[in-house]
Amino acid sequence: MVMSAAIIGVGQSAYVRHPQRGQTTHTFIREAVLAALADAQVDARDIQGMAVTSFSLAPDTAVDLAWRLGLSLRWLLQDTNGGSSAMNMLGHALRGVESGAASPILVVAGDATGLGGYAKIAANYNIATRDHLAPLGHGGPNGVYALVTSRQMKAFGLEKSDYGQIAIAQRAWAAKNPFAVYRTPMTMEEYLAAPIVADPLSRYDCVPVVAGAQAIVVAEPDRAPRGRAPVRARAIRHSFNYDNQEGDGLVTGISTFAEDLWQAAEVAPDDVDIVSIYDDYPTMVLAQLNDLGLIPDNDLARYCRRYIGEERFPINTWGGMLSAGQPGGPAGGLNGITEAVLQLQHRAGERQVSDARLAVTTGYGMTMYRYGGTAAAAILERME
Amino acid sequence: MTPGVRIWQCKGCGAKVFPERLLCPRCHGGDFDQIRVLQGVVEEISVIRHMIGQANWKPRRIANVRTANGPMMTVGLQDESGPGTVIDLFEQDKAPVGRAKVKAKAKAKSK
Repeated sequence: MVMSAAIIGVGQSAYVRHPQRGQTTHTFIREAVLAALADAQVDARDIQGMAVTSFSLAPDTAVDLAWRLGLSLRWLLQDTNGGSSAMNMLGHALRGVESGAASPILVVAGDATGLGGYAKIAANYNIATRDHLAPLGHGGPNGVYALVTSRQMKAFGLEKSDYGQIAIAQRAWAAKNPFAVYRTPMTMEEYLAAPIVADPLSRYDCVPVVAGAQAIVVAEPDRAPRGRAPVRARAIRHSFNYDNQEGDGLVTGISTFAEDLWQAAEVAPDDVDIVSIYDDYPTMVLAQLNDLGLIPDNDLARYCRRYIGEERFPINTWGGMLSAGQPGGPAGGLNGITEAVLQLQHRAGERQVSDARLAVTTGYGMTMYRYGGTAAAAILERME
Repeated sequence: MTPGVRIWQCKGCGAKVFPERLLCPRCHGGDFDQIRVLQGVVEEISVIRHMIGQANWKPRRIANVRTANGPMMTVGLQDESGPGTVIDLFEQDKAPVGRAKVKAKAKAKSK
C-alpha cells in the first residue's frame, strides 16, 4: 500500500573530520534541526513528534534532546539500529503521521564522537564484540568487512579495482556536494595506491568518520512548502537479525523482503531513477544492490565496470558516506534519504539527475559479530 | 591459554552456536551443553594494519574460521597460517585464537 504521509523538508549540519572545541553531537543536531525546519517552513512550536538516533547522545536520551530543543511532544522515539536507524525512524514517522499520532514529526540523527570516541564505540559495540572480537585487535568494522570483502571477491570473481569503481564514482558526485568532506576527484591509480587498512580494504574502501547531523520533517503532503513536490514512500520494509549470523554476510536482510518491497510499491527495479545505498564499505553497496535485484544476472563485477564505472548510474549522488563522511553511522543513513528527497524535488543543484521521480534508499548496520544484522529499504516517489 | 574454544550445543536439537545465545536459533530451546571445539579451517584472512585512535599499532592477523562440525568464528591468528590451514583453537580470556595444528610426529620429536 502506498503511504500517504510525506517528507516535506530536509536539512543538515556541516560535516567535519575533527570537531572543534564547543562542537558536540548536540550542537550538530541543533544545526541540522534548524536547517530542516527552515526548509520545511515549519515553526518549531508546531512539531508534535521527534525521532532521534545517535551513538553519542548519552547520557542524554530523546526526551532530554526534546527538552534542550524546547520541543513539547506527543510522539517520541529513540532508535538504536545503527546504519538502518534512519530508515527505521522514517517508517515509524510515516506511520505516526498516517495514524494521527503526531504531525509534523522531526527525524534527527547525528554524532560527534571524534576518532577516539568512535574507537571506544567500535570495541564495545555489543557483548559479542567486546568479548570475542575486540581482544583480538580486530580493527572494528574495518576488520569485519575486510573478511566479508574477501569472501565476496572469491564468490563473485571481483577484483580490487571493481570496488574502486564505486569509490571513484562516488567521489565524482561528492565533488558537486559542498557538504562532502572529500571532494577532490580520484583516479583508479590513486585508489589502488592507497595504504592498506585491513587487507584487502584500503583507505578509500573504509568510510571516514566525521562529526555532523541530518534532519528531515515528515507530515501530511499538503503541509509541504508551496511549489515544492513532497516525497512519499511507496513502500518501506525492514529486517532484523535475518539469519542469526549463520550465513556468510554476502546477502543482507534486504534479501528477505525485496520481492515484497517492489510488489508493495507497484514498481520494478528498472523503474528507479536514483539509488541511495548505505555505503560503509563498497562490498556492502554491492550486496544491497544485488539483494534489491538491481544487478543483472548477479554479475557484480560487470555491474561495477559497466554500470558504475562507464555509465555512472546514479548511486549515492551526494558522494555517499565514503566521500561525504559518516557521522557515527545513523546519520549516514539519513543522508541517503535526504539526498533522495533533494533529487526527487529537483533541488540537487549541480548533481541533479534529470527528471528524477523514483528512488530506492537503504539502510544497513549493526555489525553484531561477522556482519550486519539490520537492513531496511524504501521506495520514495515525487508527488505531483 | 585454554585449549579449544567454548561453544554451546542445544540439548533439544543439537545445534551448535557461538557466541552464546539465550534460546536456540533452530528449535528455540533454552537448555545448552557447553562443549569445546578444538580445531578449525582458515577460510579468509585479514591483516589489521591500522587501528582508529592508535598511533603505535602493530599489525595483527584475524581469520574467518570454519570450526569442525561447529559454527564459523573470527579468530586471532598467532602465526602465518594461510587459507585452508587446519589450526588448533585456544581461548584467550573469551576471545578465540589459533595457530597451525602441530603435527603429531613433530610434537613427539620436540619432547
